Parts: sequence; structure tokens; C-alpha cells
Amino acid sequence: MKILAPIREIDELEMLHAAGAEELFCGFVPKDWMDRYQGAVWLNRRSTKGSSLETLGDMRALADAAHAKGLPIFVTFNAPYYTAEQTDLVMELAQRLSEECGVDAFIVSDVNLMLRLSEARLHAGTHVSSVAATLNLEAIRFLLNFGPSRVILPRSVTLAEIASIKKGVGNSCEIEVFMLNDGCAFEEGFCATTHHHSVGAFCTSLSGMQTDFEWHGRYFSVRRHAWLRRNLEDYREWVWYLNGNGCGATAKGLPYGPCGLCAVPDLLKSGVDSLKIVGREASPLKKLASVKMVADIVHRARHGVPKPVVIERAISLRKAPEHCHSGYMCYYKVDA
Amino acid sequence: MEVTLQVGCAGEANASLAEALDWETSGKLRPLLDALAPLLQDLEPSRTSYGAEFCEHLLPSPEALRAVREACARPFTLLTPYVGDSGLAMLRALFPVLRAGDEVIFSDWGVLNVLHREFPELVPVQGRLLNKSLRDPRVMGLYAEAGPGPTLTVLQGSNLDNRAYTAMLRRFGVKRAEIDGLPQGNDLATASMELTACLPYGFISTARVCQAAGLGYRKGEKFQPAAPCKQECQTFLLEHAYTNSPFENRDQKFWLKGNSYFYFHTPEIVKALLRAAREGALARLHLQTRLPMLANGLAA
Repeated sequence: MKILAPIREIDELEMLHAAGAEELFCGFVPKDWMDRYQGAVWLNRRSTKGSSLETLGDMRALADAAHAKGLPIFVTFNAPYYTAEQTDLVMELAQRLSEECGVDAFIVSDVNLMLRLSEARLHAGTHVSSVAATLNLEAIRFLLNFGPSRVILPRSVTLAEIASIKKGVGNSCEIEVFMLNDGCAFEEGFCATTHHHSVGAFCTSLSGMQTDFEWHGRYFSVRRHAWLRRNLEDYREWVWYLNGNGCGATAKGLPYGPCGLCAVPDLLKSGVDSLKIVGREASPLKKLASVKMVADIVHRARHGVPKPVVIERAISLRKAPEHCHSGYMCYYKVDA
Repeated sequence: MEVTLQVGCAGEANASLAEALDWETSGKLRPLLDALAPLLQDLEPSRTSYGAEFCEHLLPSPEALRAVREACARPFTLLTPYVGDSGLAMLRALFPVLRAGDEVIFSDWGVLNVLHREFPELVPVQGRLLNKSLRDPRVMGLYAEAGPGPTLTVLQGSNLDNRAYTAMLRRFGVKRAEIDGLPQGNDLATASMELTACLPYGFISTARVCQAAGLGYRKGEKFQPAAPCKQECQTFLLEHAYTNSPFENRDQKFWLKGNSYFYFHTPEIVKALLRAAREGALARLHLQTRLPMLANGLAA
């Protein structure tokens, strides 16, 4: 089970490797794309500015340096879809990133792009992005038609489902799951909204909107209305946790927000191949702290430390037990 | 022009559009539907749909499906949602109830795989959840107002623009896809497949975590993916007004039903879809006169 870390630039490589990163992923958005689509249409799931590499030279240097340390590097092409014109642009980029820069795999959600990449037979492999919403074993069997070497399961796939899927796929592809930072209130692959800075994420924007309930049950009362309101407030609190506890990092730069550390023993037992740390756009300090945290727990699990002890350690590492005990900060519901 | 009407029980299986336009009881949605009714009045259903596109907990039982299928005198379409393995098992129990030539709208690649391999007598139709395009009603209309350009071209298109993709779908027996009317407008000329537009509700987002199901749990236990529920979604509608918009659309409304958010098609969107249907760019319209989150009961 590998630790997959986000990276934004070559300067972050040394520290991420030293902290325990075993695989890397990044975004790549060339200036041509930004000029053409002006920030409104994203090449990947992060804003075009500030979270991706921008030149083939920088990408080649990063890939070479990563490979020198034995780390593979993956590039995100995980927009929900590309039109025919965009697909041609992305295929041209993929060709160059694979053959000229030595990128090891592309993280892809658009089935059409998977299909085109499988036909192009590039050196780089394909990983199915969580944005493809692969929620069951048969979906993986379908997507194997396009030759992916790995499937990233969405955050909403439960521990029991992960175990069942991993058992079902056997060695036909690797399984990657989410481990730290950033949640999604909706099924990411079925959310047709934009995170454009002008409006922000739909899920967080909802919390600031005026709301009105309409009761369709048998009778309505003040008590029922309060019950609905309480549930809505609980939901908004849950969304706050998903959104990095409202900020993404503590005052000391430590990661805040969704977490799967307590599930590491179960994921290891299931045979999961990779644990994803989210946040290409995060500060180097947050990335470093995230990798250290995950490496600490994975190291203990690999060495057979009992699950309750691992969980206790995970909670102590987060340094906010009240958040851990809220039940809203966990990717996975773990039976202790 | 073909027209499909979604029904919720056997008693509605052969309903006319006039009857269906009376089904909505929501005081919030009813006036919107009434305003659209004059645009829709000439349409007459030629096909019936039944099922759930957005939540596996709303799938009908085999008995309920059998009752609707037997009562239905029109060609028939079953709506199916995205599913975990347990939801897929439920669908495997529903598909044998259908008849050869019945359509199944799939929203999940696993469902298509099962249909293709185990139920080749059924006709798969790609659902709108797999028709990838941005539908964010908060902002997409502004791009249309900004005028033509590469950005609007992308936003009015979808994954169906790619011929390699639609050719792949055809290899799996898929010849038709469902779409939403987009706030920024649809470019239907580039889609290389027979299209059905759903109206008058477009989906914004949907989740395996259901806000309504949270009503049945203690605070710390709420909002778990795919958690069992008692269909609490059927007891209320939550209306959001976009009062925090940075633009002028602060009176815009969105609706949550269970695990999914919807927008209502404006008369302009509906007129554009009707025009496209008359001109042959759309092969079919799929009318859902209630929010497509029905409990799918047995009752007549």
C-alpha cells in the first residue's frame, strides 16, 4: 500500500520524499489552455491558476527528479468531460507528457479520453479518476475495456464496499482510495457545478442561502419544523468539515478536514494499493504535514500494530479529538 | 415527436399529459408548472417511464414494477440510478420483470455492463447523469450572455460531441442518450446520437450521502454514504433562494429533494427544447411533471 502525495513544483519533491511519499500526482495546464478558455473551463479538477505546472520543461524536470528517487508521477486530466476540440488538445498534451517528459500515468475521468488513450498506446498508463464515479465492481469491469492500471474509488465508497471491490478485481487493476484532506458533499462525478472563484463550490454556497421547507407529510407542526431545521444545521456542519473545517489548515499549517487515518489497518487488510492525499494547491507545509501524518500511521499498520492502538495514534496526531469524535470528519466509518 | 411521461404507480401507467399536469401538489413548484403548461399542452405521451434516476433507495420492488409494467399499454422505460453493489443486486431482480425491447436508462457504467452481458433483450439508454456538461444554474446563464467564443462552445457541448465515444456506446447497444436543458443553452448539432431531453427539472448535483436520510439518525451517525433510510425524502422539499449571489440573480431558486438538487427549466429553455424537437434535433421529450424523486409505490 503506497502513499500518494500531491505536488505543485519540483521544490517540494525532496521534502515529500523524505517524509514518506511513495508516489506523486500533479496537474499540468499550459498557458495556451488558459489563454483559450480564460479560467472558466478547467483542464483538471483544480483552478487553472496556482495548482498546476505550466511548461513541459518544468514537467520533464519534475518527472526526472521524481524517477531518480524511485517515485512515479501521475498527471490529472480529470475534468468531467472534454468536447471533441478539447479532446484533441488533451491527446496532444498526453502524447508529449508521456513520450517527452516520462509521466507514468494520467488520471482520467472522461470515458472518451480513456478510450482515446487506450487506442494511442502511450508509455504512460491510465488511472480512472474518482470523478468517473466508479461505485461498484461491474463498473470497474466495464472500464477495464479501456486498459486502466488503477481505479480511484470515490470518497463515498464505504470500507465494506472497498473490501468487496478489491476482492472482486483481484490483480486486474490497482485500487486507490482517499486518505486525507478535502471532501465532497456530492458524488463528485455527478456534480454538474463549477468551483469557479466567482461563485465558489455549490455545496458551501448553499449554506449561505435563504431556505424554506415545504412539508409533504401528514401533518406539520412547530416541532417538526424545528426537527428539519436542526437536521439542516447538522448538514451544514458536516459540509463545514468536508470543506477542510472551514479553512483547510490550522493556524500552525497542519492539515484540517476529512481524514481516513483510522481506516488504514482495514484498508491494508483489504489489499488497497494506494492512499491518496488530496491538495495540489495546498501550501508546502500542509503537504509535508499531511505526508508525515499518513506515513506515521501506515508505518505502524504495516508493522502489525493493533488496530485500536493505530486509531488512538491517529486521533492524537490530528490534535483535535473533538473533531475526530464529531463523526463528521471521517471519510470512512470504522468499527474499532 | 415522441413523448415519454414518468409515472409513479400502476394507476398512472397510461395517463394523459392533462392528467399528469395535475399531479404536482407542491405549493412551491405548482405555479412554475402551471406557467409552463400552455407550452406543453399539445404534447401527448407515447411512452411511459418509471423508476429512479438518482437514488437506489427509491427503486421499486419487483412487485411494484410488475404492476406498472402489466398496466402499461405503451412502450416502457425503466429509470435506474447510480448504484453500489447492493443496488446493482436490486436491479438484477428488476430486469427480469421487463419485456424484450423495453428500455433501461442507465446512470452507471456497471449497470450498462450488466445489461449488455446478462440482459441483451433490453435496450440501454444513457441517462443524463452520464451526459457530462456543466449545468450550474448559478452562473452558466452568464456565459451565454457573454456571447460566443471557445468557452461557450465547450459549455453548450457535452461528452456526446465525441464520435469515438458514441461509437463505443453503440458497440454496447446504446443508440440514445438523455440530456437536460442547459441554462447556457444546448448545442445539439454536434451530438452524434439520438437525444431525449428531460423536462422541466434539470439536475444540479446528487450524492450517496442524503440530507433527508439524516433525519433518521442521531447527530454523530448522520450523513453516511448509502445509509439505509425510511424515504424521509418524501416528507419534505427544501427550497434554496440564491440570496448570497455575487450577481443579480438573487431571486433564483434551487430545490433539494432527498439526495439531489434540481433547477426548474425557464420558459426560454423549454421553448428552445420544443423548437429543437420540432426541427428534429431532439428525437424525444421526457416529461417529469413531479420532481423525479418518486417513491414508486404499488398504489393505484
